[in-house]
Amino acid sequence: MPSYSIVVNGTRRAVEAPPDMPLLWALRDLLGLTGTKYGCGVGVCGACTVREGAQTLRSCQLTVAEAAGRSFTTIEGLAAASGAAVQKAWIEADVAHCGYCQPGMLLAASALIESRASVDDAAIDHALDAHLCRCGSYPRIRQAVKRAVELRRGSRAPDAQGAKPGAEPGGGER
Amino acid sequence: MNTTRREFLKAGTLFATGLALELGVDGRLRRVGEALAAEPEAGAAFRPSAWLTIEPGGRTVITVGRVEMGQGVRTSLPMIVADELDADWSRVEVETAMPGPDFQRMTTSGSWSIGGSYEPLRRMGARARAMLVAAAAARWGVDASTCRTESGRVLHPGSKRSLGYGELAPDAAKLPVPADAPLKPASEYRLMGRRTPRRDARAIVTGAARYGMDLRVPGMKFATIERRPVAGARLGSLDDSAARRVPGVRDVVRLSNGVAVVADHTWAALEGRRALRLTWEGGDEPRFDSAGYQARLLEATKGSGSVGRAVNDAQKALAGASRRLDAVYEYPFFVHAPLEPMNTVAHVHDGRCELWASTQAPNPVQAAVAKQLGLAQEKVEVHVPLLGGGFGRRLGVDYALEAAELSRAIRTPVQVMWTREDDMRHGFFQPAATHRMAAGLDAAGRIVAWWHREASSAQNYRDRMDPANPDLAAIHMWGGVDNPYVYGAMRAEFMLVEAPIPLGPWRAVFAPSNVMARECFVDEIAEAVGKDPVELRLALLEERDGADEAMQSQRRRLAAVIRLAAGKSGWGSPLPRGRGRGIAAHIYDGETTLAQVAEVSVEGGTPRVHRFVCAIDCGPVVNPLGLEAVVESGVVWGLSQTLGREITFRDGRAEQSSYADYPILTLSQTPAIETHFIEGAKQPLGAGEQPVAPVAAAVLNALFAATGKRVRRVPVGADAG
Repeated sequence: MPSYSIVVNGTRRAVEAPPDMPLLWALRDLLGLTGTKYGCGVGVCGACTVREGAQTLRSCQLTVAEAAGRSFTTIEGLAAASGAAVQKAWIEADVAHCGYCQPGMLLAASALIESRASVDDAAIDHALDAHLCRCGSYPRIRQAVKRAVELRRGSRAPDAQGAKPGAEPGGGER
Repeated sequence: MNTTRREFLKAGTLFATGLALELGVDGRLRRVGEALAAEPEAGAAFRPSAWLTIEPGGRTVITVGRVEMGQGVRTSLPMIVADELDADWSRVEVETAMPGPDFQRMTTSGSWSIGGSYEPLRRMGARARAMLVAAAAARWGVDASTCRTESGRVLHPGSKRSLGYGELAPDAAKLPVPADAPLKPASEYRLMGRRTPRRDARAIVTGAARYGMDLRVPGMKFATIERRPVAGARLGSLDDSAARRVPGVRDVVRLSNGVAVVADHTWAALEGRRALRLTWEGGDEPRFDSAGYQARLLEATKGSGSVGRAVNDAQKALAGASRRLDAVYEYPFFVHAPLEPMNTVAHVHDGRCELWASTQAPNPVQAAVAKQLGLAQEKVEVHVPLLGGGFGRRLGVDYALEAAELSRAIRTPVQVMWTREDDMRHGFFQPAATHRMAAGLDAAGRIVAWWHREASSAQNYRDRMDPANPDLAAIHMWGGVDNPYVYGAMRAEFMLVEAPIPLGPWRAVFAPSNVMARECFVDEIAEAVGKDPVELRLALLEERDGADEAMQSQRRRLAAVIRLAAGKSGWGSPLPRGRGRGIAAHIYDGETTLAQVAEVSVEGGTPRVHRFVCAIDCGPVVNPLGLEAVVESGVVWGLSQTLGREITFRDGRAEQSSYADYPILTLSQTPAIETHFIEGAKQPLGAGEQPVAPVAAAVLNALFAATGKRVRRVPVGADAG
């Protein structure tokens, strides 16, 4: 089995996998990072979204051979990689319902707010329209993205905030 | 009035009041909470017990006997207990229960988690609090009535002493259980009624939350199944040589419903499955096609069927009416398509079976797997992680049975994951329905006759209804039989036309299509007689028909939410050119009342919903933030069917298989959604399914207001004009 070197959340990982295995399954089944979700496998739902720098991409559409030598951020690494404001805004706005699609939403939202000084509904629609939620968290996503922009503006170093599991009163770890 | 589903359940409800007590070996006070409402289901008494554990260190664990699928029960149900207990909310921990003797009905459906648990959970919290107070009073030698509680402590203001619940737990555990304890008045609630964020929010936004798909057990293999395409089909030939050569594939196993490929990881299982060469033969009714079926539905509505409700002689009144209106409404097949496809981890070993299943039906899963494996029920352990959406699909047990069958065959823990295509093609579909409506008007424009005929199929996991069952209409015509309006004469009839495909419960079950037909037809009548749709509805609710006080009270509560929704939406005020407002209303299951106003325009042939106002009376609200979420969720669910795409069948198979050909609502299609509530009902009532029911009618009525063109089917698609 070929081995590929992929940087995930700042750590270099060796992945032994067939070259055509999508990054999604390497993350979930080989690296134990199950926060990246499978929803459709054909790049339509956005649940498997990860980031590569400022870009978002769908990990079900990228093979490990293509991913080799590149660096990605998943939901597990989002807080450390500047996503804490988005996570905080998401909790404040109580966005999640079942939560399954939310990792993809958060990755995409974090990329959006880092790329712009301000966002309006059109920008949010554009950035997140190809991310599907069957529960209907959409109205709160709009609120939360705007709130995240405010949080980032208010604090240029938001990374230390709110990312520690259990730090939230009543944090519902199972 | 016919017996609704809820009334049926209530009539057989038993309230067991035993409160078992045990002191754990570790000195923990374990409260085996009183049994919750026992609902007879399949002959078994229903007695889930809510467990409350307070450790000497003060750790307080509330075990929730319902599953979390986004509706917020892991937040709202603990709020009820914690409020009466006066627990420290920031320190309360929440666990999901497992089916067993203490949790005999974890099935989470029917929008009944709060309504069915509210009183027992309050009483449980209140009794536990009383025992902690008694323990403190005994320790201090004071009268219990001079003590009070706050945030996980008992206080004695007279002597300025206080003790934490944890310190009192061992003593409290030895005390007799009071028969009852006073409940807080609403003015003293500290949690209930407060906007409380979801407890799992942090786990979700950090990727730590675990769904069934995320479960990993040591030694676990990954599997996927090539299922028979139609029920009853048999495996003809199978060549698995190429599949077995795929790196990572460990086994290929014939199961009762298909062929499983077992591998070291999901990708190898999928690749192995693609490499299978197999053929299927036969099938129960392999030629089923939905277009032909819908033609049969249309034809069937012209006949007669099971009469669910008849008030006076509607046909005679129709014949004698000075004016007659007719309309046919069509509602197609849909599939649930939760973002997390079906899956289960099963491990059959040493005469037992462990399962990790995102299921709405933990007890039925336990019973069905035990039966399949020939094990005693207690030998099947069902762990329920979070559900990536439920919507009724996960009330089935199919995904668990096949995983258990496979694990038994390969003697290894295994995760069976469904692909999106599997999930859409092998769903338990929402049945199509066709409604034929007729109304007779007198010279003054009053409705003297209302005749509603529905043709559809029975449902519930292929358990077929007897076509001769006299209660068919009462069972199926939710929203048709319990039409809240008063007419001179009315008749609701149901014609059974079987569809030989798997059908199952849906969010709001049969209500969406019936309420669509009814609420749109009321609008058509309003237009015909030149009345405002809001005014006509209010007038129809004020008519007297000798209904009992309970029904009159429901009608008053419906009128109240209609007025609220109309007011909040600015009903009657000018709109930009090309926009229209539509209203729809409903009394769901004889309980929750709701009214919705949609504001719609058509842009380039596509309907666009700009604003959606929902007024709801589901009684006292435990968590307003959570209620708003489920209302928004219900509206989005309803809009998905209204604006999205349907499922069609050809050769017995669903033709759609992904979100590309069965698109669900997206962010940009989602309007601003406003929720307004009235706490009119005395007890908390359901809100999870309820908001779905009127959505299609509100949108279709708004479309008419915007365009002057009447659309009588969903999804609207290109019909919007």
